[in-house]
Amino acid sequence: MSVPFAHASEAEMSRILDFYAVRWEYEPHTFPILWNLDGDVVESFSPDFYLPDLELYLEMTTLRQKLVRKKNRKLRRLRELYPDLNVKLFYARDFRALMLKYGKLALFDGLSGSSGQVASPYEPPAAADLADALPLADVLALAEAPVVAVEPVGDRPTTRRRRGAAASTATKGPSIR
Amino acid sequence: MSHRTDLHGDVAEILLDEAEISAKVRELGARISVDYAGRQLTLVSVLKGSLPFMADLMRAIEIPVRIDLMEVSSYGGTATESSGLVRILKDLSASIADEDVLIVEDIIDTGLTLNYLIRYLRGKAPATLRICTLLDKPARRLVEIPVDYTGFTIPDQFVVGYGLDYGELYRNLRYVGVLRPEVYSEVAGG
Repeated sequence: MSVPFAHASEAEMSRILDFYAVRWEYEPHTFPILWNLDGDVVESFSPDFYLPDLELYLEMTTLRQKLVRKKNRKLRRLRELYPDLNVKLFYARDFRALMLKYGKLALFDGLSGSSGQVASPYEPPAAADLADALPLADVLALAEAPVVAVEPVGDRPTTRRRRGAAASTATKGPSIR
Repeated sequence: MSHRTDLHGDVAEILLDEAEISAKVRELGARISVDYAGRQLTLVSVLKGSLPFMADLMRAIEIPVRIDLMEVSSYGGTATESSGLVRILKDLSASIADEDVLIVEDIIDTGLTLNYLIRYLRGKAPATLRICTLLDKPARRLVEIPVDYTGFTIPDQFVVGYGLDYGELYRNLRYVGVLRPEVYSEVAGG
């Protein structure tokens, strides 16, 4: 099953999370943040990732300042309405730092901003590859376990799609941190 | 990585000098010696970045300790291909079952590697499992992990030295410093 990421940096983040066996779901929940006088939702927020084992939402931003300001505003509103949600905004500079750490800084320009908007759908590796790659029995169990439905505090989110950790082969990177 | 010839010249700023690091390591060693007095402690270090810290810390501890080393693969995927899963490249050489274990880390930033290691080591049934890190960079944290011993909390800068590398270089600096930005761009540019 391929995941249609909106941005290449999201696809790269999914690979990083897979690598470290952190389960993730892509835009699984949508949170209403603004209603009109009739009670209809006029604005909502769907964080990019939900990491169920960490109970953490992760929202990634681009280099475009206008979009960053808009996301900051929506995030403030989200935190006001859903104070128990654990949401982390991952700025472009955070992503750049990750790429720097993994010796992939050259990729940053290609994955950020408008040039990163066209992302190839991420094709998770076959489950059979996991058996060889995983040294952790509990990680394997996590990958094969059914995903438990998550109900964020404060409202009923809209479930869109979800998946668990998966990957194929390991590579040796430049450093470990 | 492009060929680098000026080890110290590539450093823009010294964040922690040799004396500061040495004093902090002695302080951590003293605390650990008190906390683990009368117990069987095993220090587990993660190659390669933690080597200098491990070497100094174990000598600052005044109780008998065992040491062991691990190495795990690091993420190195590209934009177009899957990079797989983290692998244990070097596992522990002895059992830690029912032992008091202290993970010795050079730096914690995202917490992804450490989160993986903790899960892995818990599977080996140690009596206790705690964490000691020389450097903590909380601004980058994705996985919240309780750290028992922290040397320095540092700002959100990419640092090298005292074991920490960029492209496998600069580990042999005796201090922790910040690289000149042009070093990154030269490397990134090929």
